[in-house]
Amino acid sequence: MKRFIVAFFAAFIFIFLWGWLYNGVLLKDAFAEAQSLFRPREEVMGLFHWIVIGQAGLALSFVMIYASGFAGGGIAAGVRLGIMLEILAISARCMFYATQPFPAKLLVLISIGGFIEMIVAGVIVGAIYKPKSNV
Amino acid sequence: MDWKKFLIAFVAAFGFLFLFGFLWYGMLMHGAHQEVPTLLRTKPDFPWLIFGHIVMAFFLTLLCAKFVPAGGAGGCAKLGILVALIYTGADLIMFAVQPLTTKILCGWIVGDLVQFTIAGAIIGAIYKSTSLTTR
Repeated sequence: MKRFIVAFFAAFIFIFLWGWLYNGVLLKDAFAEAQSLFRPREEVMGLFHWIVIGQAGLALSFVMIYASGFAGGGIAAGVRLGIMLEILAISARCMFYATQPFPAKLLVLISIGGFIEMIVAGVIVGAIYKPKSNV
Repeated sequence: MDWKKFLIAFVAAFGFLFLFGFLWYGMLMHGAHQEVPTLLRTKPDFPWLIFGHIVMAFFLTLLCAKFVPAGGAGGCAKLGILVALIYTGADLIMFAVQPLTTKILCGWIVGDLVQFTIAGAIIGAIYKSTSLTTR
């Protein structure tokens, strides 16, 4: 349980920092090009707690899936899980692209960042969480 | 891996996800989506919508095959719930950055939970006897 909690916090902190750096700083201009699809910055700041809760939920679910079915495989299993979950996220982005006028370039950039995020999260969780028999 | 059962499970999952998506997001939530017309395309881009569902069904089936090799509706439904929680995290983040209504957010979260739980159960029920022949 201790390793589960440590893995969750490590994954959550990484996802939070990566989300801020990649989506908030590096892709700032790309998001600005599609401003009509997003809330104004002040409004986003007022709802920032939902971003934090969403990222925490994402990290928790990741660790729960890993602990339930992938634990024991180490970093490689974490990376495999991360890749599979990101492809599932990309499938949802295809549907968003089908129904909302997102620029394709923005969704491609978000997906590249998503891949990096989930692969590194997989490395972190795989390195930290070990099933009882392996400890 | 039993590829024949995998293929049947994938096709069944795709059929369910597409039908559910049409009924839930396209029909039942149509009114809620119309409250934010500027976020929507005037007509969905169907090839991308279908492609997204194919990718989603394929990787959900793959995840079930890797996560619950013994199959079974219960185990795969549990995985479906965990996948839905990841999507819920993404929904919360979308709500914070896009001008979505709380009605849409709640609809998306309930939809994710229902569709992934049932899709997981369908995949697990079809794929369940694989392990008995391969172990």
